[in-house]
Amino acid sequence: MARVFNWQIGRSMSYWYPESRPKRQFAAVFDINKCIACQTCTLACKTTWTSGKGQEYMLWNNVESKPYGFYPLAWDMKLLAMLGPQHWNGKEYAGRTLFEAAPAGQRVLGWRPEDIDYAYPNVGEDDCAGGVQQGAAMQVPHAAWFFYLARICNHCTYPACLASCPRGSIYKRPEDGIVLVDQKRCRGYRECVKGCPYKKVFYNPVCGTSEKCIGCYPKIEQHLQPQCFVNCIGKIRLAGFISTPDQADPQNPIDYLVHVRKVALPLFPQFGLEPNVYYIPPVHTPVPFLQQMFGPQVAEAIKTYLAAPKDPDLAGLLSLFGCTERLLVRWKREGETITGRDPSGSEVVQIPLREPVVIREAVDPKFQVARVNCP
Amino acid sequence: MRVVILLAVLAALVGLATGPGCSQAPAPAPLTQVVALQTSSVPEGPADPAWELAPEFVAKLLLQDLVEPRQMETTTVQVRVRALFDGTRLAFRLQWADATQSDVPGPARFCDACAVQLPARIEPTLPAPQMGEPGRPVEITYWNAGWQAAADGRGDSIRDLYPNAAIDHYPFQAPALEKGSPAQEAMALRYSPARAVGNEVAGPHTQPVQDLLAEGPGTLWPAPASLSAGRGVHSAEGWAVVLVRRLPHGLSPDLGTQVAFAVWEGGHEEVGARKMRTGWIPLVFQQAP
Repeated sequence: MARVFNWQIGRSMSYWYPESRPKRQFAAVFDINKCIACQTCTLACKTTWTSGKGQEYMLWNNVESKPYGFYPLAWDMKLLAMLGPQHWNGKEYAGRTLFEAAPAGQRVLGWRPEDIDYAYPNVGEDDCAGGVQQGAAMQVPHAAWFFYLARICNHCTYPACLASCPRGSIYKRPEDGIVLVDQKRCRGYRECVKGCPYKKVFYNPVCGTSEKCIGCYPKIEQHLQPQCFVNCIGKIRLAGFISTPDQADPQNPIDYLVHVRKVALPLFPQFGLEPNVYYIPPVHTPVPFLQQMFGPQVAEAIKTYLAAPKDPDLAGLLSLFGCTERLLVRWKREGETITGRDPSGSEVVQIPLREPVVIREAVDPKFQVARVNCP
Repeated sequence: MRVVILLAVLAALVGLATGPGCSQAPAPAPLTQVVALQTSSVPEGPADPAWELAPEFVAKLLLQDLVEPRQMETTTVQVRVRALFDGTRLAFRLQWADATQSDVPGPARFCDACAVQLPARIEPTLPAPQMGEPGRPVEITYWNAGWQAAADGRGDSIRDLYPNAAIDHYPFQAPALEKGSPAQEAMALRYSPARAVGNEVAGPHTQPVQDLLAEGPGTLWPAPASLSAGRGVHSAEGWAVVLVRRLPHGLSPDLGTQVAFAVWEGGHEEVGARKMRTGWIPLVFQQAP
């Protein structure tokens, strides 16, 4: 085991390979508050990549309701129970990562789902936690709550799938950090299926190899955002590249949201993989639950997000979500205008901070009649 | 009286002949090497009576506890080995106890398997028994129960693995595409990435075996051509698997070499490095008596 630095847990940790960060790291921000679980992302991915034999059960992208939804069943709860206590000292994780908690003879602490665990991708949909007592009133956080968690491969900086593979069949692309299974080298040992805590590597029983989200790398290479991003009806997603905190660039949209404003947080940072999909946590959910899921900075992130209407920079950048298929790696706000540029430096989008609003008076002054919205 | 004495003497003689201290031929000492007997042709099935000509070597299996992920629990204890050769081809029959026939793959379902390993080059010293070492390769002939089922006729679809699976549609089976046409087959191949890039693991499997090379753990790669054959049959006693391969390059029967074996029990999620295996065992060649 090598020692590597994981900024998400504020300390160095053990990992199977030495630290080797790509030239650029693919990353994304998902604004959970805007997700309606329409599953358009799921279908966009499904029809693009997993329509083949042996891929029938695979959802490289899925949306599950939390706290009672899982795909596969109990993917997170099972591992959290195996990992044991997960304490933080401020921003430094004091517990063990999955690499540090690996049992004797194993590379990673993990478990392998059974067939049946994949059979209920929409289990727990819209099931509420908590209850409503007599006299309850609407408040934030809500007394009864659930939220939608859209998930893809996190293209982790320290992938457990990659560490688990005894053949080195999984690699991280140096040009963009996308994690891929080499389909020629894989022999279907399923160590990656066991090792990935997010359960985003899938075994194809017809082909006998493991397969996973490829970050739509053919699109990334053309400076386009992945299918699940551009088909998102709620415009909750933004793809780009992330720097390490010491190299954070405020003009990089992902850096600004993650490092500068700290409004987007990694999923289960305590696992130690440095996942690169970041979530703006749901504002209506009790903080203790979210802390376990997104780490100790949840309350601050929610506070920042709730103040966005009076924060033109944050509001402006959030408006860039879902506004173009092009990959945005630079952004700028000038007055009421937000611009975004692609990796070639070209300006590809320009949007107003506030959409123009025209108010039609309810009463027609000329005819002195009330206007109605139906014929 | 004479009759009584005579009967007593006869009874004593019979007793000597059948009693515990008597004259049963001593059990043959266990073999310390695998003896491959030369025959006119090698059998391709495990039930062929020709196998009874070859002496049986019982190989004790060891945990693969040298590299992660390690095999931490002893499962298959031993494998019984017989070997025959016909001058150009070398055949092994491996038999081991396994109550469950594991030949349907799934996310957490693994197939039974076994392998025979030989040094790729005949040299004075041997490569490491654990799949060779850098610059000193080993040749491995690998058999898989799932591939055997496919070679025996199991279909190549998800319904053959999960009979109750509900399938809506595959794009490469759209009515607009003529079934079996080059365009349709090319499209179907694109939807099976591992097959499209020529990964032999991905099938479809007409043979249950694959020839491989390795220079240490985690380095396994396919041989330029997979020429070996094999056949495995499961019974109440477990698996009996025949592996037929060519003699290693440069090996003549008067030289002998070393051989190693490995067994994976799918029911215990054994796959890859999680296996029971042997070290090197001498392999000698003899003329049939």
